[in-house]
Amino acid sequence: MWSAGCRGATGPVLLGLLLALLVPGGGAAKTGAGLVTCGSVLKLLNTHHRVRLHSHDIKYGSGSGQQSVTGVEASDDANSYWRIRGGSEGGCPRGSPVRCGQAVRLTHVLTGKNLHTHHFPSPLSNNQEVSAFGEDGEGDDLDLWTVRCSGQHWEREAAVRFQHVGTSVFLSVTGEQYGSPIRGQREVHGMPSANTHNTWKAMEGIFIKPSVEPSAGHDEL
Amino acid sequence: MAPQNLSTFCLLLLYLIGAVIAGRDFYKILGVPRSASIKDIKKAYRKLALQLHPDRNPDDPQAQEKFQDLGAAYEVLSDSEKRKQYDTYGEEGLKDGHQSSHGDIFSHFFGDFGFMFGGTPRQQDRNIPRGSDIIVDLEVTLEEVYAGNFVEVVRNKPVARQAPGKRKCNCRQEMRTTQLGPGRFQMTQEVVCDECPNVKLVNEERTLEVEIEPGVRDGMEYPFIGEGEPHVDGEPGDLRFRIKVVKHPIFERRGDDLYTNVTISLVESLVGFEMAITHLDGHKVHISRDKITRPGAKLWKKGEGLPNFDNNNIKGSLIITFDVDFPKEQLTEEAREGIKQLLKQGSVQKVYNGLQGY
Repeated sequence: MWSAGCRGATGPVLLGLLLALLVPGGGAAKTGAGLVTCGSVLKLLNTHHRVRLHSHDIKYGSGSGQQSVTGVEASDDANSYWRIRGGSEGGCPRGSPVRCGQAVRLTHVLTGKNLHTHHFPSPLSNNQEVSAFGEDGEGDDLDLWTVRCSGQHWEREAAVRFQHVGTSVFLSVTGEQYGSPIRGQREVHGMPSANTHNTWKAMEGIFIKPSVEPSAGHDEL
Repeated sequence: MAPQNLSTFCLLLLYLIGAVIAGRDFYKILGVPRSASIKDIKKAYRKLALQLHPDRNPDDPQAQEKFQDLGAAYEVLSDSEKRKQYDTYGEEGLKDGHQSSHGDIFSHFFGDFGFMFGGTPRQQDRNIPRGSDIIVDLEVTLEEVYAGNFVEVVRNKPVARQAPGKRKCNCRQEMRTTQLGPGRFQMTQEVVCDECPNVKLVNEERTLEVEIEPGVRDGMEYPFIGEGEPHVDGEPGDLRFRIKVVKHPIFERRGDDLYTNVTISLVESLVGFEMAITHLDGHKVHISRDKITRPGAKLWKKGEGLPNFDNNNIKGSLIITFDVDFPKEQLTEEAREGIKQLLKQGSVQKVYNGLQGY
């Protein structure tokens, strides 16, 4: 019985060994450079519409009346910087790479409000309104977004999606443009399905390099 | 035996001579021991770079050379491969020579525009438009505040680069006077632009080293000049890292002092105890009590707090407050009698206003 089980196990065991031998080679190249970590500040580019996620001290005239979130074409606007933080205090220490499937908060650097969505209609397309909410980085449970990507961690080069934890919509742009006073800026909203309108890529920013866990002392083994 | 000693002596002499002729002593230039950690090397570079920068030493003819030596020393000793080669073969044994320019290394620690010494000349040029500043909150642990650390950061930013052709810039409204006929004029408003060399924004990347200095306080900022947002018609803004010290499960910081709490058993509080507290860098703080320890008793350990930011040699104190864990199960009749006998303490039932200091 034991030998029969052993024979059955050798296939996957060999495969596992093979993978274990291969992965360190590839893994060494991936670890370190190129991962998005908590505490990093970055701009997100919608890959289809080529606009960056943006916010400013202008409130929606309808819907929730909260601070508006838009997409802008400019690449040098400081109002397009967002900070990646964990879901709770201390939940994601500085320098820890964001895993695919991890819930994060995106805090707008210049206004301290979190990327947020809720059951309000968006002004131009009647999708779900996406706003910036909270004070000094503290908002509520509707500030959580799951990073959807392939692989283990969010890589800077990768196109990822942001799915809202509370309402399951994807952060999207479909091209509708605002008029004055934010002429040319695109509407950013939540859509229920994953498609080409909701992929985003990390662009400019201040990326904290993945850190090795600092040890205060060395435990005796 | 003797010939062996002689030959080793000759070899040693040759090696020393060789070392003197062959190249610079990078460890000496940085002022660090041969066993220095990468953190010590970065810290030494950063401190000396500020002192030795040629802009800061205009009267020293050797300032440029000293500064270049410093840059070379850092470049080699901060790279583990190059450091190994240098340790074995000296400066001559280094392959490839030096690649990064000294300005490059300097900007890792201080930003693009070098460092402004003594005041901020930038404020003088109010007419030059400036890009936005970016302030990044940098979370820092108490362990890092105690021992210091360096955080490596990749800055990817848009940079204005020359592009072919011209572009319109400094556009403004102007009144133009046109002559319609003898004695008849018309004034019209026109948009007038200058012609400037064309620029386009290109994303460039560089690594920055942010130093967390021992004793750093919440809210302190580390600026990197010129690493903020660009301005197409002017200068880029700055990037500033603002320190945010995070809560620690064991220690509470108050200035340079650290506070912690220890729960001891009722027995320990009465008969004494010995214990060790593991500090932020792993060293142990020993506590030995042979007297009775009351709940709320405080123990001051001088020199076991945090280093002072301005003078790292001065450390604050560690204040330990004890609380006592009383037994959870109720005592048997026998135990109660035993305790009454042991402690020989009469009934004390003093009623008083505890909130007003009576």
